[in-house]
Amino acid sequence: MDRNQVELLQGTLDLLILKTLGLEPLHGLGIARRIEQVTRGTFQVKPGSLFPALHRMEEQGWLSSSWGVSENRRRAKYYQLTRAGRRQLETETERWGRISLAIARALEAT
Amino acid sequence: MRILLCISNLWRNLFRRVQLEQQLDDEVRSYVDLLAEEKIRTGMSAQTAHREAVMELGGMEQVKEEVRGIRAGSQIEILMQDFRYGLRMLAKNPGFTAVAVLTLALGIGVNSTIFSVISTMVLRKPPVHDPDRLMMLFSRNAGAGGTGDDANRSPVSPPDFVDWRAQAASFTGIAAASSFENDSHVTLSGGSEPERVPSAQVSANYFEVLGVSPILGRGFLPGEDQVGRGQVVLLRADLWKRRFGADPGVLGRTVKVNGEVYTAIGVMPDSFRQLWMFPEQLWTPLAFAPAQLAPAARAQRSLSVFGRLKPGVSETQARSELETISQRIAASNPESNKDWGANVLTLQEYAIQESNAATALAFLMAAVGFVLLIACANLANLLLARNANRQREFAVRAALGAGRLRLARQLLSECLLLALLGGGMGLLFAAWGLHLLRAAFNWNEWSVMIAEQLSIDGNVLLFTFGVSAATAIIFGLAPAFQISRRDPNAGLKESSRSTTTGREHHRLQDLLVIAQLALSLILLVGAGIFAESFIEEMRARPGMNPHNLLTASISLAGTAYKDPSRQSAFFQSVLRQLAGLPEVQSAAVTSDLPYTFPGYAHIALEGRPVPKTEKQAQSAYFAVSPGYLAATGIPLHEGREFTLADNAGSVPVAIVNEAFAQKFFPNENPLGRHVRISHPESAESEAAAAKWSEIIGVAGNVDELVGQQAPRPQIFEPFLQRPDGSMSVIIRLRTEPGAFAASLRRAVLKVDKDQPVTNIRTMDRVLLDSAQGDDAMAGLMGAFAIIALMMAAVGIYGLIGYLVGRRTHELGVRMALGARRREVLTLVLRQSMGMVLAGVGIGFLVSLTMPRLVTASFQGFHAHSGWILAGTPLAVILVATASSYLPARKASNLDPMAALRHE
Repeated sequence: MDRNQVELLQGTLDLLILKTLGLEPLHGLGIARRIEQVTRGTFQVKPGSLFPALHRMEEQGWLSSSWGVSENRRRAKYYQLTRAGRRQLETETERWGRISLAIARALEAT
Repeated sequence: MRILLCISNLWRNLFRRVQLEQQLDDEVRSYVDLLAEEKIRTGMSAQTAHREAVMELGGMEQVKEEVRGIRAGSQIEILMQDFRYGLRMLAKNPGFTAVAVLTLALGIGVNSTIFSVISTMVLRKPPVHDPDRLMMLFSRNAGAGGTGDDANRSPVSPPDFVDWRAQAASFTGIAAASSFENDSHVTLSGGSEPERVPSAQVSANYFEVLGVSPILGRGFLPGEDQVGRGQVVLLRADLWKRRFGADPGVLGRTVKVNGEVYTAIGVMPDSFRQLWMFPEQLWTPLAFAPAQLAPAARAQRSLSVFGRLKPGVSETQARSELETISQRIAASNPESNKDWGANVLTLQEYAIQESNAATALAFLMAAVGFVLLIACANLANLLLARNANRQREFAVRAALGAGRLRLARQLLSECLLLALLGGGMGLLFAAWGLHLLRAAFNWNEWSVMIAEQLSIDGNVLLFTFGVSAATAIIFGLAPAFQISRRDPNAGLKESSRSTTTGREHHRLQDLLVIAQLALSLILLVGAGIFAESFIEEMRARPGMNPHNLLTASISLAGTAYKDPSRQSAFFQSVLRQLAGLPEVQSAAVTSDLPYTFPGYAHIALEGRPVPKTEKQAQSAYFAVSPGYLAATGIPLHEGREFTLADNAGSVPVAIVNEAFAQKFFPNENPLGRHVRISHPESAESEAAAAKWSEIIGVAGNVDELVGQQAPRPQIFEPFLQRPDGSMSVIIRLRTEPGAFAASLRRAVLKVDKDQPVTNIRTMDRVLLDSAQGDDAMAGLMGAFAIIALMMAAVGIYGLIGYLVGRRTHELGVRMALGARRREVLTLVLRQSMGMVLAGVGIGFLVSLTMPRLVTASFQGFHAHSGWILAGTPLAVILVATASSYLPARKASNLDPMAALRHE
């Protein structure tokens, strides 16, 4: 494994997926690639964790899905944020902000 | 909102599976396709790209399984899988399933049956409004060793009731009920054939206090319970349907009660009968005559009193208030109320205490508990044996990644299935058991009413389900843990051709069989004690000839029979009618039948000082017609029987029994001596007390109930000297007595067309009824003990058979090496004998306490248990040896060659 890659923190994957889908609806591979891209390859999302997360969030009502056609004219399942998902994105973002701030302070203090 | 989402998720995941799986499959495939395309764009060949994509995915099925795992209801999904698999396993082994389910069904069935009785007699609430606030109020006799339950539940006298009602502030209402002229039945006549109906006189607010409303017409009005106003009657719905064809026009119509005219004003609901303590089908207002409220009447305690607690008042507060009032009454009326207090019980508490069945029910419940334990031990052994044979299967599944928890869960769900099947079938057994019980509850009116109400109710269903689930969990978990402890490697390696099985493998099974044998021995001893005491009771010399006798009760009531001479004239006419019939050998009437509780009388002896009434000598008392002794077959030892000449106009005479003679005239000849007979509760006792009766005969002793310890003194008087309206007819027949009932009715109707005949029974039946259900108790305990022994026999048969099966190879080697069949037989039997002796030994030690336990629990019970304690262990050893002999003989008949090739 690449040394720059990091194991995803519990709960971070949800936030990343929500953030990614905040811009536009994407299919599974699209989400994985976008996350890789914006984190500059720090996070590589494996299908084994991506699919369960997507299905769980859909059951929680944050995502909805529909079948569409990809840029290469292939059938693919597209996920998009629901209204509850947008609210969740806001709360998660705020929470993450607090966590990272707290950790940064803790590291500075010593 | 969240809940809705949850439900819709569950719905989709559980019931739209096919679609969901298809979509998941499509999604994962499309991911692989997209990934492969990416790789093709970097220059890979299509084939390589696809393979790489699948590898990067990490296996399509694994990803799908991960998604399934997070779905809502995935746990339910797994459970369903377990159950489906369990069902397949059970269907694959029909023999095992049948034995296991049948064993459980028997165990659960007997438990549900007995629990139904408990539910009916103890748990069910009375069918009145807010039953927990309805109290029964009693007089409590604190003096005279008043510690027994009966002393705490004495009826209340009319003056006390009136005072309580006026002074107590704890109740919204207090009402009283009384039997009609000291007889709980009235004669309902006019229209169709006359009949005796259980009835009560009640105060006007009775139904208001109980909280029961009429379904038709009205209840009693305030003031209708005054003397001279109360010629109105309420009917219970079943009587109304039966006798009046459910005609609403019955309201306002007149009916004849004890020969007097009453107006029907309302119909009370049928549901009121649901409590077996309320037998009444007909109510009239309770009015007190001035004499009944006089100070002297405080000693005449006859009323049942009910009170409904005011909101916020507790049972304890009400009791102490009533106690205070009673003490005040006692202080001002010491001659009648000294040491008399008050007691308050809920209706349900009263029913439980009065039924007197708590001990018997506890014994029965313990017995069926034992049966269930034995059944469970069988089930556990079956499961252990089967799991041992499935060792390979479990090892393979464990090696393929099934967690221990998952394996244990699988086993547990198989047990749960078995238990539910067993419980369901157990309910069927219970329904059948109740059917049998209903027939056995026949010894008196109360028991018949309980029988009518026995049913499988909600409590019983809950109990059955609980017991089934508990069995599955307790007896399914043990083998499951044993499995999950095993190392899968060992399981895979352990060769099925092992020559011997490790001893430790079946230690648990041995223990279970030992426990079964011990339990069934204890149960057999218990049942034996009950059966032995019952047989002894029935074999005891009855002192009479009870065969070919038919008996019946006749109660004359109403104005037509107010005059005592009319009463004796009636019975004489009936006796003449009967004497004319060819089937009748002889006939007589008596105030009480043998083997029923007779009335009693105070006795004074001529020439001896008469003690104060309280401590006066007592004797059981019978008024009988001439020829009574001859008809019943009671021997006359000395003197003569009564004749028609011994009547109201002649010298008073009496016959006494041997016990009377021994008690009052030890070492003297009682013939020619004089006694004075007075009746404590009769109004003319003063007048009768003046007369001295000459003893003209001595008769043999006859008991008053089955199982009586010692004969009691009895005295007989000619019924012509002291006529009474309530008599029993007793007829000795030349033919089968049961068939004579219709002729008896016709003979009575010829004398009076409005006179009902009730309670027609053969004398044999009277004797059996007098045992008060001892026969039912002995029968039930016996049945449970036999079921237990059979189950234990099946258990030991199964275990030895299983062990022989496991040792087939070893036994084959032994025989090939020269062991003889006899030696193999003893080898196998020795193993089983160890268990049998251990089980019987433990059981025997425990059952040594049984006679004392039974004697201590049942009043007046005498356990003569010597031969039972000696014989029962032998019987158990015999049965157990026989059951292990069969598989042992099979082992000794093995063909060594076949045994060596076994498996």
